[in-house]
Amino acid sequence: MTAAASTKRFRDFKSKAVPYLLIAPVVIYYIFFWIRPVLITVYESFQSAAGTFTFQNYVLVFTDPNFMPALRNTAIIVVFSVTLEFLGALFLALLINRKFAGSTLFLFVAMVPMALPAVAVAAMWLTGFTAHGWINSLLYYLGILTEGAKIYWLAGSEWKLLALVILIDAWQVIPSMMIILLAGLQNIPEEAIEAGYVFGGNFITVLRKITMPLLGPTIQTAIILRLISAIQIWLIIVLLVGFSRMPVLVERIVYYYKEVPNLDISLQMASGYAIIVSFIVSMAALLYLRVSGAFGAKKEAAQ
Amino acid sequence: MNRNPIKIGKLVRRTIFYLFIVTLAVSIILPAFFLVSLSFLSTRESYSYPLPLLPSLKTDYSLTHSDRGYLLSVYDKFDKEFQTVLDTAELKKMSVYMEAQIGTPYSIPEIEGRIAELENGTEDTVFFSARKNLLLNYTTFFAITRDAVPALLRSLQIAGLTILVSLSIGGMAGYAFARYVFAGRDALKFSVLFVRMFPGVAIALPMVIILSNMGFYDRPIGLTLVYSVGSIALTVWITASIFMGIPESLEEAAQVFGATKWQTFLRVTLPLALPGLAAAAMYTFLGAWTETVSAIILTQFNPTFPVVVYQSLLGAVGNVNLAAAGGLVLAIPSIIFTFFIRKYIQQMWGGVTI
Repeated sequence: MTAAASTKRFRDFKSKAVPYLLIAPVVIYYIFFWIRPVLITVYESFQSAAGTFTFQNYVLVFTDPNFMPALRNTAIIVVFSVTLEFLGALFLALLINRKFAGSTLFLFVAMVPMALPAVAVAAMWLTGFTAHGWINSLLYYLGILTEGAKIYWLAGSEWKLLALVILIDAWQVIPSMMIILLAGLQNIPEEAIEAGYVFGGNFITVLRKITMPLLGPTIQTAIILRLISAIQIWLIIVLLVGFSRMPVLVERIVYYYKEVPNLDISLQMASGYAIIVSFIVSMAALLYLRVSGAFGAKKEAAQ
Repeated sequence: MNRNPIKIGKLVRRTIFYLFIVTLAVSIILPAFFLVSLSFLSTRESYSYPLPLLPSLKTDYSLTHSDRGYLLSVYDKFDKEFQTVLDTAELKKMSVYMEAQIGTPYSIPEIEGRIAELENGTEDTVFFSARKNLLLNYTTFFAITRDAVPALLRSLQIAGLTILVSLSIGGMAGYAFARYVFAGRDALKFSVLFVRMFPGVAIALPMVIILSNMGFYDRPIGLTLVYSVGSIALTVWITASIFMGIPESLEEAAQVFGATKWQTFLRVTLPLALPGLAAAAMYTFLGAWTETVSAIILTQFNPTFPVVVYQSLLGAVGNVNLAAAGGLVLAIPSIIFTFFIRKYIQQMWGGVTI
């Protein structure tokens, strides 16, 4: 309908050019500042110092002793934080699912953690997890720690640190994800839920067969966008325990580029890790575009 | 009478529900509260353990004679006793200590006044208290952190430039998406969404050389160009949904009354779109203001404000109260802008597409 009206209105050639003029700046910008840098990186990753084709740069990255730990740590953080965040947020959203006095204030409070810049979040938890930080102080005031006793949060095994990083990320993400799921839940028509109960469903079956499928698109978007950010977690780790103690992929990029910039292989390593991160994130992004239906988007063109 | 049990049951359930909500809100806000509290602690307080839950507003002192001069003591609320902090005859040293360590500015004449009381009075100890300067950590952070002020200004400049670039370039494309059907529309939409999710750090590395060749490396304009890649994508998405929300019939009506297309856009469409465009600008601001990893890679001598705070944290074993103050200066604009655009953030996460 609108398409027909548009054709009528913009029949002449001059009008046909208008949309292309409007999008031209974006296209040009992306060619120069997105496609070009990406192509340069990919091209150079296959170049040896002598300018010949080589896989050597990748071999270098894959044989880096920190490569497997970095990949493993990143994978663990992604899998556990996204799972924990989704289940936690869903649980809270189902518990809260109703309008209540003060909900506007509560919903804003829940947005605060996501609003905080990564550096501020790191400042918050760094001052918390040091031995004489506010977490131990709070535990002392609550009577959980006796005088003089301290918990050394940042000492110990990598698993403990991974758990801390995942918990910090959960603190930051669960509240916002909960709001999104709440919004999704409140868009589900009550009749649909009621019908489920009328036909003999219990809470679990209604949740599984009606609520979750209707929440589906919301959940998919939230999870994949979260996945993409979780792959790139690094700053909190570096500020908590420093470089190289618990390597992750993006941390390696900054490490090679900024901490040891004078090695022969610094730039190759940093670029190699950057390509790996881009590849993984791109896969997740493509997955997102696929499930969100951007590939078959003709039907929604021009409203 | 017989309806009372139901009412009580309802009351109990409501109480439990609100207790739950309050617990949740407290656990969300607690770490942020401690960051705020820490940023107001004096250096002496921030080194004490357990840390005070709230910053003190004033400090009680006692002053008495000693062999070397005067003995200055501070009342410790935790140990509930006066603790000697300084043994000196130099009044300047005393004044500096009171300001820098305890956070209570106290001038030399004021100290002389107290000493006079001690000399002339009958008691061998003089008690007095001094008000704390709560903003001291903030002023000190900017005073002693190299680059903090220029970095703050630079960050604002970058955010402003990024808003300018992405609103003009992205806004035009957003309008095209909302109003026209054109070849390559889907391909462009696809790439815009894809770019939005592409990791910025991967663009930052090759941009080092590109920007150096342009003479833009380590300059605000360079970071603007990098940040705009992601924020243009975001702006296209937001502005497209804004322009779609403005009925075309309004534009048609304006043209029926003789307005040209350009007039229609300026007088009808743009005013209606302004609130949404403001939201897009704030979103862009948030991204540029908080971004860290590209800024670390693309700056050397001219860091942005998040980088300065990052560096102060990276080396900070002591002075956590100053780092907390820096972190809060960084956080406050983010929280304010998030409040204004919370609706859009939720929509983005909820998977609204163009």
